[in-house]
Amino acid sequence: MKVALARRLVGVLLLSALVATGCSSNASSSSSSRLTLYTCATDKIEQAAISAFSKANPGAKVDVYRAATGQLNSRVAADVRGGGIKADVIWACDPLTMHNYDAQGLLTNWAPPSTSTIDTAYRTPHFTGVDLLYLVAVTHQGVPAPQSWNDLTGPTYHGGVALPSPTFAASALGMLGYFATATDYGLNYFTRLKANGAKRLNSPDDTLAGVAQGTYKAGFALANAAYAAIHKGSPVTVTWPKPGAIAIYAPIGVTAKKSLSPIAREFADFIASPAGQAVIAKNGAYAAMSGVAGPPKPAGSPVASPDWSTLFGQSKTLLAHFGSIFPS
Amino acid sequence: MSHPRLVSGSRPRASGPVRAATVITILAVAGLIGYPVARLIPSAHFGAALSAPGVGLAAWHTVALAAVVTVVAVPVGAAMALAVRRPDLPLRRTLSVAMVVPLVFPQFVLGYSWTQAYGKAGFTDTFLGLHWQGLLGPAGIAVVLIINAAPLCYLLTAAGLATRAQPDLEHAARVSGASPATVLATVTLPLLRPALGAAAVLTFVATLESFAVPQMLGAPAGFSTITTRIYADLALGSDPATFDEAVALALGLVLLAAVLLIPADLILAPRLRSERTGQSSSAGGRAPRTARSMFIAAGMWLYLALGVGLPTLALIAASITRAIGLKPTPSNWTLDNFSALATPASAQQLAHSLELAVAAAFILVVLGAIVALLARTVHGRALLGLTTLSLVVPGSTLAVGLLLAYGRWLDGTLTLILLAYLAKLWALASRPISGAVDRLPPAEVHAARTSGAGPLAALRTVVVPALAPAVAGAWLLVFLTALHEVTISSLLYSTHSETVAVALLNSQELGDIGQTAALSVSLTALVLLAALPMAALLRMAVRRRGIALPDVSELPREVSVAR
Repeated sequence: MKVALARRLVGVLLLSALVATGCSSNASSSSSSRLTLYTCATDKIEQAAISAFSKANPGAKVDVYRAATGQLNSRVAADVRGGGIKADVIWACDPLTMHNYDAQGLLTNWAPPSTSTIDTAYRTPHFTGVDLLYLVAVTHQGVPAPQSWNDLTGPTYHGGVALPSPTFAASALGMLGYFATATDYGLNYFTRLKANGAKRLNSPDDTLAGVAQGTYKAGFALANAAYAAIHKGSPVTVTWPKPGAIAIYAPIGVTAKKSLSPIAREFADFIASPAGQAVIAKNGAYAAMSGVAGPPKPAGSPVASPDWSTLFGQSKTLLAHFGSIFPS
Repeated sequence: MSHPRLVSGSRPRASGPVRAATVITILAVAGLIGYPVARLIPSAHFGAALSAPGVGLAAWHTVALAAVVTVVAVPVGAAMALAVRRPDLPLRRTLSVAMVVPLVFPQFVLGYSWTQAYGKAGFTDTFLGLHWQGLLGPAGIAVVLIINAAPLCYLLTAAGLATRAQPDLEHAARVSGASPATVLATVTLPLLRPALGAAAVLTFVATLESFAVPQMLGAPAGFSTITTRIYADLALGSDPATFDEAVALALGLVLLAAVLLIPADLILAPRLRSERTGQSSSAGGRAPRTARSMFIAAGMWLYLALGVGLPTLALIAASITRAIGLKPTPSNWTLDNFSALATPASAQQLAHSLELAVAAAFILVVLGAIVALLARTVHGRALLGLTTLSLVVPGSTLAVGLLLAYGRWLDGTLTLILLAYLAKLWALASRPISGAVDRLPPAEVHAARTSGAGPLAALRTVVVPALAPAVAGAWLLVFLTALHEVTISSLLYSTHSETVAVALLNSQELGDIGQTAALSVSLTALVLLAALPMAALLRMAVRRRGIALPDVSELPREVSVAR
């Protein structure tokens, strides 16, 4: 028995050693053509962008950590508390998250290359929007399309509106920020939605699915996801209601890491360049640079932008207000 | 250092192996749980977190949900385990396997499949015009979590029955004129107390920590729990103050669990013990089928069909339907969702997940058995309590703790993920085994020791055979849970250590229900495929060691598979 027990123990130890060594990472390599990217861009877009960058820069190696914003935040928080940010480049999904990283001194000066014509509305000294999300209205087949966001508080949609949660999805936080400050809307808009029987779900994808299935008549969803669903045959209609679909930009920035990868700026430059923007558009997202063909956007579709600089300091107060209307 | 009399026999001093085991356990608890959690404490801003509006209500929701789920799931699981023990139950072998199947569903898959089956515009609504309004709210959350927890309670009760069923006593009671109900109340259930206690503790703790189901079904009703609030705080956690609040809430949840569990553990544990007098011969065998057994079997099949069968069908329908909102009729069928899953990384992700799950399961049954054996003393109970509390630490928080503690050396490695699994899932091994240890016959250990057997020989001839079913159950629990673990690995992975969780989250974020459903179906099928040979291997391994289990014929064959 002693022998058998010993054999088993050795087996367990060997297995652990195998796991520990055989598959350990060499992500911390300091080779000059290596960089670490933290991102919450979708896998498809981020992979396509990296592969295009690697093609243009032979020998470049990008180690990527991709996760939803909550996990990304945890990862960054662990880095900050454990000796400093490990990423060379951060590609976030919304300006508020990026602003908070910036406020902690995690980002450094960086601007897109001169070939980039990305609108100044999407730029700060430390980060620049490289792709856009549009929050639009979706309706189930046969339900009349809203002309304006205000219509969703009317009797046509009574008991049948779904909205995403600002504590779950950054795009919904953009929605909250936009309406809070928009003329004719304000936070009262959410009170009216609630009074009309609107339901708060988690992500904009949940609202899209709910509307497509007919659980809800109408909802707030992301334009590219809605058009993709329609392309497959989902019974929904997309509308860009007045005053406009709410635009949320996904920014990229170079970090203030001590031993910054020499190709960090090159990578960020590439994503903001016409070539990088074309890759993003080809993989199903709206590029931040105008004139790059991406998912459908009907001519003359109105677009509205939240005042991000105001939102940067106010998100907590707004969320508290929202929570008192749609309790969580 | 006090020591369990179990292995040390009648000697007054702790023997070498006991002392070594104690030291190993203390080191492991300190390294896996103590140090990482301690690294988090400076980050926790309790004041801000606990004074935020709605936290009290969320805490109340959390505790009430855990209580309700425990109170229902434990009797349901136990009743099923007792039912499949009836020799006259039709299809009892199939039933005994079917009861464990829901364990392979990750929680979010189960929650999602229920919305597809019973929600508005779901399966029953489409075909019968019926849907369950309460699904999106506390009632729905409780029911889905009960369905999720019942197999665990079933497995632990079945292991308990395998270890300590005493057909002789039951038989004696019956021939002395006791009714079946009296036998159940006075003989069977008292003998099962340790196993039921273990099931109750695990269910309670797992429900406190559950996230996916409350998040998915609770949001539209405005029903929040501590875990959904932690998630919301992390989503906004790019602001350090909000992140610190999330950490404080997570540690608060652990404190809450500690306040509820530790007294229960210390006070109730000795009373839960029921000592078995010795091995008993079996009184099993086939019996003619009665109307009663047919009725019981029908009830069990109905439970499985409604709880798991129909939701699984709805999930499969979603996975093969071309687009969201289309009817799952053949003209809308496609396999695109499945073909989209096969990426170059898939095979490696799967291999990593399997490697981690197997390693965690093997290491944890050893660590779990050690803790369980030590747990007959007060100090040992405290260690068992600590391993249980680590199950409550939300995965995201535990992962950050491990990154802070060991990230400097292990960041991006599978080893770090493995350490997190060991810390998080320890209780899934230690509790079931402890439930079995509680009824080890010390007299037999004593007899072996006084007859000249060394501690290891006593361990092999007396302890191991009695613990084998619980150890096998624990192995399976850890393996399955680790295999579909999402939160920890999605935070700790790197380019070189991706797990299936990464693919799962990718597809979920794409918002494509068809693809998420396809991934869930594939994952469930893979887990089933992986679990079956594992169970067979385990049985072979146990057999080769010549372990003879008591009451074999009293066991449904498939529970003995888990040996």
